[in-house]
Amino acid sequence: MASVLITERQRVPRPWSLKKMVSKNLGLLFVAPALVLFFIFVLYPIFYVFRASLLDWNGVSQGIYIGLKNYITLFTEDRAFKLSLRNSLYWIFLTIFPQMFLGFILAYILNSRIIGRNILRAIFYMPAIISPVVIGIVWQRIFNPFGGLISDIGRTTGMNFLIQPYLADPKLSIFSCISVNVWRWTGFSMLMYLAGLQGLQKEVMDAAAVDGVNLWQRIRYIIWPMLRNAHLTLILLGVIGTLKEFALVFMLTRGGPNHASEMLPTYIFLKAFPLQSMGYASAISVVLLLLALGLTLFLVVVLSARFLFYE
Amino acid sequence: MKKCMLFLLIVFLLLPMAAFSSGQKEGKTVVTFRSWSPIRETTNKMIAAFEANNPDIKIKATIFNYPEYLVDLRTRAASDTLPDIIGLEPGAFTQVYREFLMPLRDGAEKYWGKNWQDKFYPIGIDQARLGNPAGDENFYGLPVLDQTINLWYTVPLFEEAGFEPPKTYDELLEVAEYFNRKGIAPLMVGALDGWLRRDVYMQLIHNIAPGLIYKAEVGEAKFTDEPFVEAMRWWKRLFDDGIIQIGALGLSAYPGSMELIEGGRAAMFPMGAWWQQQATRPSPPPLSKGLVGYAPMRFPDVTDKGGPPEDLLGGIDVMLGITKSAKDLDGAYRVLVDFISGDAAQALINTFNDLPAFKGLNPEFYETEHQKKVWKIFTEEWMPNVRYARQLVDADVKQAFEDALAAVAAGEVTPEKGMQMVQDVWTPLK
Repeated sequence: MASVLITERQRVPRPWSLKKMVSKNLGLLFVAPALVLFFIFVLYPIFYVFRASLLDWNGVSQGIYIGLKNYITLFTEDRAFKLSLRNSLYWIFLTIFPQMFLGFILAYILNSRIIGRNILRAIFYMPAIISPVVIGIVWQRIFNPFGGLISDIGRTTGMNFLIQPYLADPKLSIFSCISVNVWRWTGFSMLMYLAGLQGLQKEVMDAAAVDGVNLWQRIRYIIWPMLRNAHLTLILLGVIGTLKEFALVFMLTRGGPNHASEMLPTYIFLKAFPLQSMGYASAISVVLLLLALGLTLFLVVVLSARFLFYE
Repeated sequence: MKKCMLFLLIVFLLLPMAAFSSGQKEGKTVVTFRSWSPIRETTNKMIAAFEANNPDIKIKATIFNYPEYLVDLRTRAASDTLPDIIGLEPGAFTQVYREFLMPLRDGAEKYWGKNWQDKFYPIGIDQARLGNPAGDENFYGLPVLDQTINLWYTVPLFEEAGFEPPKTYDELLEVAEYFNRKGIAPLMVGALDGWLRRDVYMQLIHNIAPGLIYKAEVGEAKFTDEPFVEAMRWWKRLFDDGIIQIGALGLSAYPGSMELIEGGRAAMFPMGAWWQQQATRPSPPPLSKGLVGYAPMRFPDVTDKGGPPEDLLGGIDVMLGITKSAKDLDGAYRVLVDFISGDAAQALINTFNDLPAFKGLNPEFYETEHQKKVWKIFTEEWMPNVRYARQLVDADVKQAFEDALAAVAAGEVTPEKGMQMVQDVWTPLK
């Protein structure tokens, strides 16, 4: 009988209490500032850009609603947009994997006890911290077939195939930009792999030595798989970096000749500011956003990128 | 501790407001100015000259690189935080911001008198209203600096070779052959920059069919008409005949081509009147010192007329507008007028930044007689005869031209297809 009474009492709704309410939602209160900032600086701009993408708008005057016309033009008529998508694909595959491979080789060599390894590590890492504007100016000079370094080497040594319009030829320009990007970020890959190599368990290496594995087997079957976290981090950062690439391409080629090396961010800038088509540029930005989301999800889900937390 | 934090928070919140505020400061009127041109050092000289004679006004200027300025201006227009005075380019640029700009005709009349337009070079007055709606003859910006586009040649190289500046294409070919043998670029073009490609084409089409391009802009001719294609063919020939250096499409105008030009690797190059300012930079290279190494020339004739056209293309380099947000309109006018024709303008012209839009302004000091002679050529012989604009009105047509010129030069498309690319983006001007 007593237990029945208690149960009945429990069913009576308790009076509302601020204290209880606060204590119940305390967690939410703590994250509220971050949520507010997230809404203002992330969600609202996304909504704003999407809304703008449905307008014929120069960014200043009143926009005219045109529905999906910007998107239709983008996918059906815009050659430069298609080129920038193609170039992004080139960039992802030809930047990320070569710089991972080169970075690993450098890291492996500089992880051994060689003289001056700290200085060499600093030298190889240096391009990653130099301004892309400076890199663009310097590499434009190096590539210039009239008085540039590579062509002068070609002239001096008789290797005339080196005298090429690296940035001026539409067939070469995107690959020239990519090669500079690989040069720029290889040091960063090296650093990531160095950290990974130094975190490898010594016991595993010792056991491998006892088992008599050779150098190739040690790298292929032990070290490379154990650096999985570093690989996945580099791939994810590489993809995000590709989709954001602006300064280097802008300085090297302005996206030219005739959009041959155009990337999505350089094209967005061209449309939004010099060409005053903010609505159209917003449509490209929405596509870029969806692309970034899709690729990130793909990497996280399909590649099971659980590298953020050590298993 | 809490009070200290609160104080810091308030300071943190108020600082940006103080930074962007304009109006009264220490009893002075503050006039805000944002632009990409003139460059910061020159603007500072202009401000010093103005403030020395106008102690009641303080100018707060922010100078950007051009791309950053475009972003800044767009953001400020959208957030209603435009400064009092802004730098403008004629045509589409000014028209986009027209609704934010004060009409200046009455103010100009007040400060310069009834016949104020006669005090400016005619092309500046024409171009200042470029793209105005039909019937709107007002001015939303007034020119500060004008320019011509032309070629320059490197005097010591021509003297050593015993050449005169070429006047026809055949002479140009002869000169090019000689300089190519010497490892010197006959015509150094930083054609990575679309504006420089367009400048060269504009001189070619002006030579072939003066004024036709402006008719095509308004739909009275087509960009696929024969003269345009012919000009495009000549553009292509400049590359095929080895007149423009190899790899030009991958070399920027600044600093890329500039360094090679100043290093004595270019016999000729397409820059405008603004090239004179090379002499006034700190520690200029020997060729630029006192401008002794360079002299301007007209683009050689490609039409068998026997010589280039007498008139050059040109127009406004930079103009200024007063925004409707200006707190003190009279103060803003005083700054604008002084920047165009007063002590600040004199400080500007002393740097040889470009040609004055206001007639009669001359530098107070010339380093060499040659520099003075060049200045006189520009201001007395060439500038008064400029009839046609260097700029096009429609930004999309301009971009299509730049793309087509790159595509044709690279051999991606034929001249005919290149001009079709331009015609395809043309729409009637709004």
